[in-house]
Amino acid sequence: MKYLILLGPVLLGLVAGCAFAQDDKAAAARQEEQRSCSPCHSLRLVDSQRLSQAAWDKELTKMIGWGAVVSNRQLLLDYLSQQYGVCVPRTADPLSANGAKSHGSGR
Amino acid sequence: MSVSVNTTRRELLALIVAASAAANGQEITIPGKRPLIVHNDRPEDLETPASYFSSWITPNDAFFVRQHLPRPSVQEASHRVALDGRVGKQLQLSTADLRKLPQYTVAATLECTGNGRGFYRPAVPGVQWMRGAIGNAEWTGPRLSDVLKLAGADLNAAYVTTNGADTGVAKTPDFIRSMPMKKALHPATILALQMNHEPIPELHGFPVRLIVPGWDGTSWVKWVTNLTVANEPNTGFFMNPGYRFPKHAVAPGTPVNPADLEVIEGMPVKSLIASVSDQQRIPLAPARLRGIAWAGEQRIRQVEVSCDSGRTWNDAQLGREDLPFAWRLWEYQWTPPKEGYYTILSRATDSAGNIQPVVATWNPSGYLYNAIDQVGVIVEKGA
Repeated sequence: MKYLILLGPVLLGLVAGCAFAQDDKAAAARQEEQRSCSPCHSLRLVDSQRLSQAAWDKELTKMIGWGAVVSNRQLLLDYLSQQYGVCVPRTADPLSANGAKSHGSGR
Repeated sequence: MSVSVNTTRRELLALIVAASAAANGQEITIPGKRPLIVHNDRPEDLETPASYFSSWITPNDAFFVRQHLPRPSVQEASHRVALDGRVGKQLQLSTADLRKLPQYTVAATLECTGNGRGFYRPAVPGVQWMRGAIGNAEWTGPRLSDVLKLAGADLNAAYVTTNGADTGVAKTPDFIRSMPMKKALHPATILALQMNHEPIPELHGFPVRLIVPGWDGTSWVKWVTNLTVANEPNTGFFMNPGYRFPKHAVAPGTPVNPADLEVIEGMPVKSLIASVSDQQRIPLAPARLRGIAWAGEQRIRQVEVSCDSGRTWNDAQLGREDLPFAWRLWEYQWTPPKEGYYTILSRATDSAGNIQPVVATWNPSGYLYNAIDQVGVIVEKGA
């Protein structure tokens, strides 16, 4: 048990490492994605796509034309093509929590 | 979200974890909306789960949302709809002015032009809508033709162009749409002030939205600020090349000659199975299958259902509500012969004889998906 407790942070680190950043390059790419895309829309819109590298390249051209500021295009293109390529299984988009009773923009 | 150049690796990791948590859909609540499928939370692109389509009218709190640009904040008291171009006199109409005109209520189905894009293979970029970027509502307001006449518009002009209060971020183009005068003058084309007898919700275009019955959702401009009468259509991105469909089938990855792209207008015939969801377990007992069917400017003539993967088809019974531009409910009584896995299909035929295809026509932007609908169900005793 004692060992398990000690191992906890290590395991967590491993999980986080797999899920978010395998190395510095992936972290930098994710940062580049945020910096480039999130001023105009959530990253959810990006991450739900499954496109070939050629299609991602075309999207980057379109978005840069619309004002996206991309500082490292090749890094971002490689990242999008690998993380959200045609062979990557799709994940279902989530349901929002119930906001029907809160007065707001939906009503 | 900005990241300083001095961000440490730990801070960066925390930032990425937070961004990932947000991207995983945690803690997203849309005020005024029941749980909806979140394709994009900024700006909001929200899909209605098919299981909600159990009534002829889709309640406002269940209605899908599509936004190209961030939602503007509009104050009704100061809001004006400007009429210009080929008009006798330029006008600035308040919502009070619009309410002074005769008010009409139109039931009409609104479907996103890209509804079903997520089914296309090869995949195409854009919001990955599946089945629920559609809803049916009653819209109330003055006829667009009455508003145009108020300004002494040249009714022989070719187009009416509509702009809304939303504007592009950075260099994103403004969302502006043109429609031919003939459709603008159609008695069912209105400037709605109400949706299902309530003020139009902000997300749906408060305080005034263009209703273009039978046509794709892109034509239904929200937060209307400008109506311009002209002999030429607007040439901005959202008219060209946006929201156009190739005249001929094109191979994925090949460029399309711009001259072969046509503006999308009426929506194609389509149906949807709503009362059972894909991979649902249902009991070995008589089942009442229900769904919806619609056909743009046409009427629904027939809905057929197959419970054996398309080997045999039988007519569904159409619902009582039967109005132009509004979807039809349908139902079909099915008694599963025995336990097992069944693929249920629905296909609709419209009044012009158009029938839903087995496979929708692939196109580079993933518009107008209307293939036969399909769900698989597991029939079990005691399910």
